[in-house]
Amino acid sequence: MSFAWRRQAAFAVVLAVLGFGLVAAASSTRAQKRRDRPRQSRLVQLILDRRKQLTDLDAAVRKLRGQVARAQADASKVDASTREQSARLAALGAIAGTTAMEGPAIVVRVTDSTRKPTTKEEAGAFRIHDVDVQLVVNELLTAGAEAISVNDNRIVATSPIRAAGDTIVVNFRPLNPPYVITAIGARRADYAGSAIARRSERWRALFRLGYTVNAQSNARVPAYAGRVAVDRAQPMGAGG
Amino acid sequence: MVALLSLLAGAIVALLWGPTIPQTLTPYVAMAVVAAIDSAFGGARSYLESTFNDRIFVLAFVSNAAVAALLVWVGDQLGVDLTVAVVVVFGIRIFQNVAAIRRRVFGG
Repeated sequence: MSFAWRRQAAFAVVLAVLGFGLVAAASSTRAQKRRDRPRQSRLVQLILDRRKQLTDLDAAVRKLRGQVARAQADASKVDASTREQSARLAALGAIAGTTAMEGPAIVVRVTDSTRKPTTKEEAGAFRIHDVDVQLVVNELLTAGAEAISVNDNRIVATSPIRAAGDTIVVNFRPLNPPYVITAIGARRADYAGSAIARRSERWRALFRLGYTVNAQSNARVPAYAGRVAVDRAQPMGAGG
Repeated sequence: MVALLSLLAGAIVALLWGPTIPQTLTPYVAMAVVAAIDSAFGGARSYLESTFNDRIFVLAFVSNAAVAALLVWVGDQLGVDLTVAVVVVFGIRIFQNVAAIRRRVFGG
């Protein structure tokens, strides 16, 4: 084999590999992007559609419950026993959370820190977690709250406050910070003296987490639009 | 001339055959491509300086591509992006070889 031939052959092989690899990689990446793009926009559209459906259904439930309450009020004007029953229903509705409430309230506003975490392990300390919101809600209940809402989502006895990744999900609705917790009927002195209030203030000083507590003379808390029926729980017997 | 033709030949084969490289393998193929570009320019420079050895040329390409792929794999295992290191080093070599070629051709 002549020297020049071998040189040409070696060059040709390397350059053929180069051309092949370049075009193969480029076309694969482009094909991958083309596959992903319509799927992503379809998913986004699906999410937006379902969210709108949820809000519409929520509004419908509230409107229907209001109509039922008004019909009951009209019917109760008929006789004493119906009046008694509808008064009992109204009281139960207030406790269960299916009626909107208003009154003097404590408004606790928590939000993520404005400071950036220095390491990846510390990142969790600079955000508000679902546990933090739950602890504040529990403490407000202990301080006498009669109706609580988180970002206009009514908290009832069965309300889950959970986390999906970094997002806090209340009543199966994802929420964005800041988180405004309105508690009608909570006693400010009791809450301010609690352990969680003092801890939150320490966190505010340490991590610059947003945390403010205000009193409002007439706050409004929306009604719960979800399911309030009882499935498996039974009232305990007299011996229990 | 041969160089250009073989480059086009490889590209055309890839276009016609249309292989889809799985997404997990794309960084390795990309590193092999960068190694091939570096070898091509290195080969051209050594040819102009009359120090071209075809065996060394092919071996250098194969070993560079293998080491580059190995670095990317190690980076994946460690969770560090080592493709940056590979690209930087090969980029420096490519520009050095191009400068040497330019000096040879344009006497500069």
